Amino acid sequence: MAEAKSQQRATVASATADEIRVLNPACKNTLVERVPLAPRTFASLAGKTIYLVDIGWGGPDAAYDVFQLMQEWFAGNIPSVKTVLVRKKGAYGVDDPDLWSEIKAKGDACIIGISC
Amino acid sequence: MSRHAKKLEELGIPTAPCTGVNVSKYVAGWDTLYASGIPLRYVVFPLPVAGAPRLAHEMYVNGNDPVTGQPIMEEIVAALTKQLTADEQMTGLPPAALESRFLPPDTEENLQELFKVEDWTDYLPIVLPTEERVSSMLGGTSHKPDEVVKTITWPGGARQVTVEKVAISAVMAGAKPQYLPVILATATMAPFGNSTTSMANMIIVNGPIRKEIGMNSGTDAMGPYNEPNAVIGRTFTLLSKTVGNLHAGVTTFSSLGSNLQYNNCCFAENEEALPQGWDSLSVQSGYQKEDSVVTVCTGWTYISSVGEVQLSYPPQFLIRDYMRALSGQGSAALLCADPLVAQNLRNEQGFTTKEMLARWLSENVRIPAQQYWGNGVVATFNWNLGLQGLEPYATWQKMPPEELIAPFSNHKAINTVVVGGQTNNLWFITDFRLGKGVSIDAWR
Repeated sequence: MAEAKSQQRATVASATADEIRVLNPACKNTLVERVPLAPRTFASLAGKTIYLVDIGWGGPDAAYDVFQLMQEWFAGNIPSVKTVLVRKKGAYGVDDPDLWSEIKAKGDACIIGISC
Repeated sequence: MSRHAKKLEELGIPTAPCTGVNVSKYVAGWDTLYASGIPLRYVVFPLPVAGAPRLAHEMYVNGNDPVTGQPIMEEIVAALTKQLTADEQMTGLPPAALESRFLPPDTEENLQELFKVEDWTDYLPIVLPTEERVSSMLGGTSHKPDEVVKTITWPGGARQVTVEKVAISAVMAGAKPQYLPVILATATMAPFGNSTTSMANMIIVNGPIRKEIGMNSGTDAMGPYNEPNAVIGRTFTLLSKTVGNLHAGVTTFSSLGSNLQYNNCCFAENEEALPQGWDSLSVQSGYQKEDSVVTVCTGWTYISSVGEVQLSYPPQFLIRDYMRALSGQGSAALLCADPLVAQNLRNEQGFTTKEMLARWLSENVRIPAQQYWGNGVVATFNWNLGLQGLEPYATWQKMPPEELIAPFSNHKAINTVVVGGQTNNLWFITDFRLGKGVSIDAWR
């Protein structure tokens, strides 16, 4: 898509006859400061505690069993992983600092979702 | 969801956020550049997730990410364990591209094509915004071209929408300078509703400016038969794409989309035909009759009465019945009533104010609890609130599925606008929620 746009712009730029000048309808957007990811300090999930957080997008039944199936996958593939399946409090976009603190205190990693 | 994943990452917790394929381009690009600033390791799921059976979810978990083609669970493990790249450790501001006031000169044909390629149009012909045309448009307001009308921060970043930028989109839509104050007032509410649920907007104008610029509030007011109704509504769409940056597959993800977004159902209230005691929308919002005001509403659904009111079944009964098909989200409903229906409701049924009708509907529209919770928007927004004990959701969650509830519990969210030409006593019931009324006079 971006390449196609670039080619289109190139075509536009090469035109020479009957040119007119128009104002740019778009607004410049401000970029935000980049934030680094948390360091990955373990190369394997063996023996780790992973929180699975259902944010509730689409309702209480939308994705909960996806996380249950993930639990089954870990049990079958990396059985030493401990999984904790929780529902985030409040609507899907609402912050849940208590849960983040719990994960920080008791967990090693998190899988969260599923937004659409 | 990126805000949750970002907080976890900032706490030092490796996180694998999972998302549907519909927003994969957004989360991989726009969100990092303009919103969260963090290059989250998203794992992408096929759709649908909500409403899909467990068997489908099994296939997803044991299948592949539709974007990368890699096994989803292996991607999750990698997202949590793989060493960070240099890009993932980056801090500070990335280099910004310059954006000029003018586009490079070109032929009309090429520029028309460029505007489509950039997705700045609704794919109907536009008027190219030359400096002369934009300057003429700016004659419709006393405000300076560089005055900021609004800073749009959704869906990420900050875009300062100036009077000139609004005038550019107004030219593109085919507006006349005298429409500009209305368009500037609507611009304060831009961009339009955007959700996977295929939202739409409705633009309603009140006050003297309706007559000054020739808006239609009578026969065919809600159809394509009046220039200012059509063009003001269209400008809101173009603004949503030019300065709002809403582009399909990148920042918008409506599953079906909404045809209402071509014009945003723009019309004027028929204030001259309001029954005695019924205030206009703008007066209900706290303005005076002499004020010109625009109200931008957001919703999804638009149901017609189809046929005229029958003596055997008062209009409020059929309105009540049809409201049972609305979600009840936020208690929001907007009745668009022909003056004949409004007169009937006032004179024959005894609703001496719009509020009285709203209270009656609030009390009398009832649906089974399971129907209420069967709507995904309602479930997404309100189920977890119920789990926290917030009423009435906590009570409604515990009810037997067939028990009736009154989902329009806040009568203040049920509104009525009188529109139409009194050629037949018809009405529409919609689930549109009123936005805040905005002064048009402030933008003259």
